[in-house]
Amino acid sequence: MIEVANVAVTFNRGTPMETPALRGLDLAIPEGQFVTVIGSNGAGKSTLLNVLTGDAAVTQGRVLIDGQDVTGWPAPRRAALVARVFQDPLAGSCADLSIEENLALAATRGTRRGFALAVDRGRRAAFRDHLRRLGLGLENRLGDRMGLLSGGQRQAVSLLMATLQPMKILLLDEHTAALDPKTAEFVLDLTRRIVEDQGLTALMVTHSMRQALDYGARTLMLHEGRVVLDVAGDTRNGLDVPDLLALFARQRGETLADDSLLLG
Amino acid sequence: MSLVAFLGAIEIGLVFGLVALGVFLSFRVLNFPDLTVDGSFPLGAAVAATLIVHGVDPYAATAVAIAAGALAGLLTAFLNLRFGILHLLASILTMIALYSINLRIMGRPNVALIGSDTVLSPFQGLGLPNLTLKPLFAGVVLLVVGLLLTRFLLSATGLAMRATGSNPRMARAQGVDTQAATYVGMAISNALVALAGALFAQMNGFADVTIGTGTIVVGLAAVILGEAIFRARALTVWILGCIAGSVIYRLAVALALNASFLGLNASDLNLVTAVLVAVALILPGARNPLRAMIAGRKRP
Repeated sequence: MIEVANVAVTFNRGTPMETPALRGLDLAIPEGQFVTVIGSNGAGKSTLLNVLTGDAAVTQGRVLIDGQDVTGWPAPRRAALVARVFQDPLAGSCADLSIEENLALAATRGTRRGFALAVDRGRRAAFRDHLRRLGLGLENRLGDRMGLLSGGQRQAVSLLMATLQPMKILLLDEHTAALDPKTAEFVLDLTRRIVEDQGLTALMVTHSMRQALDYGARTLMLHEGRVVLDVAGDTRNGLDVPDLLALFARQRGETLADDSLLLG
Repeated sequence: MSLVAFLGAIEIGLVFGLVALGVFLSFRVLNFPDLTVDGSFPLGAAVAATLIVHGVDPYAATAVAIAAGALAGLLTAFLNLRFGILHLLASILTMIALYSINLRIMGRPNVALIGSDTVLSPFQGLGLPNLTLKPLFAGVVLLVVGLLLTRFLLSATGLAMRATGSNPRMARAQGVDTQAATYVGMAISNALVALAGALFAQMNGFADVTIGTGTIVVGLAAVILGEAIFRARALTVWILGCIAGSVIYRLAVALALNASFLGLNASDLNLVTAVLVAVALILPGARNPLRAMIAGRKRP
């Protein structure tokens, strides 16, 4: 269970550059739910993820993961609870390390690291099995530098890395946005497979309304740092992209109307 | 080149192999350009020499020198991590501070160790002449340190350190405390350099406040030469390259300075160093069929 209670994040607080990114956002995600998140630029999608990973400090409110108040925890401490796949395929892995070393690093995510060999024979065999399931032929390239892989391959490995260790929530930050359509589809299918097979709690940010409705069981729309739409079940099944667009436009219109009321 | 000059070059190359490993750790593993070494090398020499002159056991003195080097590295890391001072600048601050600190430690610009016991003393009765004993001793120390460092960097903790230098954001997402990794890495790096300084002082019979000048250039030269010779970036080969680079650098310098037809003398050392490093940096990128044939593969 993930709970974000009345969370506000303001960047450059107390300066003329002050920007509120989240304004009292409330969100509860039950265990095992796959949630998709949409919203325009600056809606607060990335900030929401950063609040969960501990990369952004909250100015108000609380963050609970699995009943634990983690609001003040720095990112490395939350690594045992939170796994993340970045938008940039280069950000989620170390180009200078080999594929197996990247996997070894992820396999010890959030645990105490000792002085035993990071990659031993048993680990290597396990990594080979995991990689084989990706169907990219990477199981024969364990010793290759990560930097030699294509963006799609790196993103697939990043996804695998995120799921090597148990976590309370998997965060997917537009993780297919930088890929070509075919590769993006492959990575998305892989995502669905992994999330469903392992029954993961996941939050996927996307720019595509199609993806937002096609994947997962619940869709959120963020606007100006708040959740403005939260649909699941039959309501969601009855929605199509045009409906979502209409809702989106209406939401923007309403906020505009609110603003004009305030200003008028 | 005479045998004495040859063995001398090997000896100094092996001692500076420790510096190369330290520089490799900061520059290559942690991605932290660290000039502290110009201060931590003479620091190791000063601490070891002063303690030995005061009757401390040479091995204990060397251990204290190593600890002093680690502290210097921690200071640089602290200035950078705690106060956000640019790493290069933080290391320069530590370096110039160490110049004064080294003078304080020694109480004078240099300390002679003639007639004092050194780490070599227990082995001097074994019948080997000093000329071969010194490079042998330095070689054994370097081998042990090199193996330990390689093993450490292959461990889960070492892997976390390498990730810290390669992609800190990713490392943090994997639960790596990147600050702690940087502190530990910088401490080890400068401890190795201080060990080199302590050995240098004991093998040459003196510590001088000026011996640190250019340590960083020599260390980098070794790392870069090693990278130019061994193209592979597998960790073990890379570390081996640093060691080989250090020895080859000294041999090349000795050759250049000893070749009478070149007309170079000792004061041309820095020029020779600069040319060597430049050549090592230029060569790997140059289209060279011979190179490609030897290497047998393309650069990624």
